[in-house]
Amino acid sequence: MLSYALRRIAGVIPTLFIIITLSFFVIRIAPGGPFDDEQTLPPEIKANLEAAYGLDKPLLEQYGRYLAGLVQGDFGPSFKFKDFSVTELIAQGLPVSLMLGLSAVLLALLVGIPLGTLAALRQNSPTDYGIMSVAVLGIALPGFVTGPLFALVFGLHLRWFPVAGWEAGELRYLVLPVVTLALPVIAYIARLTRGSLLEVLRTNHVRTARAKGLPERRVILKHALRPALLPVVSYLGPATAFVITGSLVVETVFGLPGSGRYLVQGAINRDYTLVMGMIVVYGSLTLTLNLIADLLYGWLDPRVRYD
Amino acid sequence: MSQDEAPVALDIEQLSVVFDTPDGPLSAVNDFALEIRRGECVGVVGESGAGKSQSFLAVMGLLAANARVSGQARLGTEPLIGRSIAELNQFRGVKLSMIFQDPMTSLTPHMTVGEQIAESIIHHLKISADAARARALALLEQVQVTDAPRRLDQYPHELSGGMRQRVMIAIALACDPEVLIADEPTTALDVTIQAQILALLAKLKRERGMAMALITHDLGVVAGIADRVAVMYAGRVVELGTVHEVLKAPKHPYTAALLASMPRIDDTGTGPLPAIGGQPPNPRRLPPGCAFGPRCERVDETCRAARPALTGHERRVACHHPLERP
Repeated sequence: MLSYALRRIAGVIPTLFIIITLSFFVIRIAPGGPFDDEQTLPPEIKANLEAAYGLDKPLLEQYGRYLAGLVQGDFGPSFKFKDFSVTELIAQGLPVSLMLGLSAVLLALLVGIPLGTLAALRQNSPTDYGIMSVAVLGIALPGFVTGPLFALVFGLHLRWFPVAGWEAGELRYLVLPVVTLALPVIAYIARLTRGSLLEVLRTNHVRTARAKGLPERRVILKHALRPALLPVVSYLGPATAFVITGSLVVETVFGLPGSGRYLVQGAINRDYTLVMGMIVVYGSLTLTLNLIADLLYGWLDPRVRYD
Repeated sequence: MSQDEAPVALDIEQLSVVFDTPDGPLSAVNDFALEIRRGECVGVVGESGAGKSQSFLAVMGLLAANARVSGQARLGTEPLIGRSIAELNQFRGVKLSMIFQDPMTSLTPHMTVGEQIAESIIHHLKISADAARARALALLEQVQVTDAPRRLDQYPHELSGGMRQRVMIAIALACDPEVLIADEPTTALDVTIQAQILALLAKLKRERGMAMALITHDLGVVAGIADRVAVMYAGRVVELGTVHEVLKAPKHPYTAALLASMPRIDDTGTGPLPAIGGQPPNPRRLPPGCAFGPRCERVDETCRAARPALTGHERRVACHHPLERP
């Protein structure tokens, strides 16, 4: 198991390097630059600004400098938020976004797996149809529809939770955004769990467990559910990516000071360093969750460890 | 044989299994009857789809959800058919065990061999994990798994097919059952391992005085270890008797044809091996008379009109024109 884990971890670094390299050059290919505003700057000033940020150097040299800074943990200065470094901006927003995203993924697992299991065990019953219908809705409705709806119902009318906003340490501000973000993931995980559990329940080893005279509860929890969770675990990587993009919308709807907006604003403004910073952070995050999924895979199915 | 005096361990009467399918009901087993006495091994033979496995899966309560079972099966005096899962679990894995055809997929991949054997011991016999582990080790040694102490902590995928089938047998024997159902236990294994597993099963049956049902399509397997044999065709028993009688002097033309189609080591003939012409009947459209009629050389109007009943006492056959002793 240890050598399996080390091999997986070693695979992350080259992947991250490729992500950084590709994004660095792709964003430079996009037309425009950080200092092309509606109000055109005099060419001399623009040239001075570009020189100050090193943008007049050959692209490869800029790339080299960026990598060198990155290795030392320096994301560089933001071109647009002139008083802040990218590191400072991320340090402000990321904790909120992380809390939002990880809570959403966790909630999705905690709710989605039991719902899917219940639906599978009551296959073709009203319970099953009920859960699966809600799940289809959950997948179909985007966050910018469910978010404001939740704010309206649970915030404005019932007054259970704040409509929007953020106060550090106050968990009640997180409830509606987390639920909004988690809903499609819950739905997807419930569907995955149901389908895969139904398949596993028909396998020979489950029949063996039943032939042993074990209570049905134990047959399911001990023998069937673990292999049935493999597809759910594989979905963790894409789910993270989904939650990251989803958090852009949810953070806007609920006015959360997360870091999601920096990715969008940075890209629109051609704030090269900010975009790159966000890509590095979100890329590492996605890779980490994929890594966790890989390690879970090895735990769920011992055969995977020996490939 | 003095098995007649031994008490009946498993008594199956008029067992029928019907599957509800989208294309209508499919009758897999019809009026299956068989009694197996303590210390006796009964071979159940027939080709694929004859209903061998389904009969015994019905007894175990392991059929798919779309199966309807009627009739009766008793373990000693306890009825089995129609009982809830919780009630069946008092017997399954304790007094009544089953081993399956495919050892490669019949073990749980994410649990060690030791866990899988100890699990039912802990559950049914309510003993400590350590004691169950010790018992699991003893079982592995009884089923002649080499290097048993190390195997306890290995996963199924680390073992060979023959080894896994031994583990399956150890699981089945964990709580010292009275009846063991072996469903094609050697079909997935290569020939030398087959012989070893059969010898092991025969030895365990003898030592423990278990009743055993051996489901197989291989008459050679039956000849090796069974005391009696039941031949099934299209969901019914068509011939029943001691192995010696049935294999030496089959009365049902189907049994005779099956025997004729087996290659024999002492056969000096040069012609092609005889095969049974035609196909097994479609279980949705069984002929009104004898199900084997359309493939039988001795078929006549009686056979087409009425299905022959299984008659006789110890030696039974369901045929209007049984073969006479040659």
